[in-house]
Amino acid sequence: MQLHPRHFGRNLRENLVSDLMKDAEGTCSGRHGFVVAITGIENIGKGLIRDGTGFVTFPVKYQCVMGFFAEAGPVQFFVSNHLIPDDMEFQSGDMPNYTTSDGSVKIQKDSEVRLKIIGTRVDATEIFCIGTTKDDFLGVINDPTTT
Amino acid sequence: MSGEEEENAAELKIGEEFLKAKCLMNCEVALILEHKYEQLQQMSDDPMNQVSQVFEKSLQYVKRFSRYKNPDAVRQVREYQLAEFELCVLGNLCPETVEEAIAMVPSIKTKGRAHDDDAIERMLNDLSLIKKFE
Repeated sequence: MQLHPRHFGRNLRENLVSDLMKDAEGTCSGRHGFVVAITGIENIGKGLIRDGTGFVTFPVKYQCVMGFFAEAGPVQFFVSNHLIPDDMEFQSGDMPNYTTSDGSVKIQKDSEVRLKIIGTRVDATEIFCIGTTKDDFLGVINDPTTT
Repeated sequence: MSGEEEENAAELKIGEEFLKAKCLMNCEVALILEHKYEQLQQMSDDPMNQVSQVFEKSLQYVKRFSRYKNPDAVRQVREYQLAEFELCVLGNLCPETVEEAIAMVPSIKTKGRAHDDDAIERMLNDLSLIKKFE
């Protein structure tokens, strides 16, 4: 994370964290998936002054929530990595997806999954749920019109 | 949430308002929404503009996940001696095995109800036959 000298002073750490959130949240990491929300800062290392610019670079270690979004009719869902089966790993690329180690099961854009609601948040205009695909009989479903 | 007595669908403790409300399967909702959409089509050139995003998404969803196509089949499914909530979940998900049915609707197996594994299996077979021959 790079910081302009005008942010130095008492609020240095807060500025760093808020910049980090603005930059990183919502992006997609090649290795891990969508950075949905930063949940904690583990460590901020010593700053290094960049020659010629006056900016200072800080290495920041942070924890964040990863996972995928889904829709069922008008209801929005989020399924975090924690609630996706352990043998499914995120694969980046043109079509980012979650795949099992033997490649037999894949969750990607437009996949249909059966998930269980474990929490809901309701406001005036929408319902948002947290879901899991970790239990038995959950996860990618076969085409129901052929059963 | 409301913080009254513990609500738990797995034990069929689904709260008073829901006990009184009618539960519908996806296919039943699809019939209702499609009917409304047809009415709008007759009244205007551009029905899609008349409906909310909630309506549109709901219609798309229930059409995609409807299991039964005709009202007679639905009527047969509704004849089963189960709580309406349980019937609708089974009618929507169409579990293939007894194990899956119990995982989806744990309350059908709770003590005191006359549903052993054989009875559940027979019911699942009937449900899939209803679907086959509708």
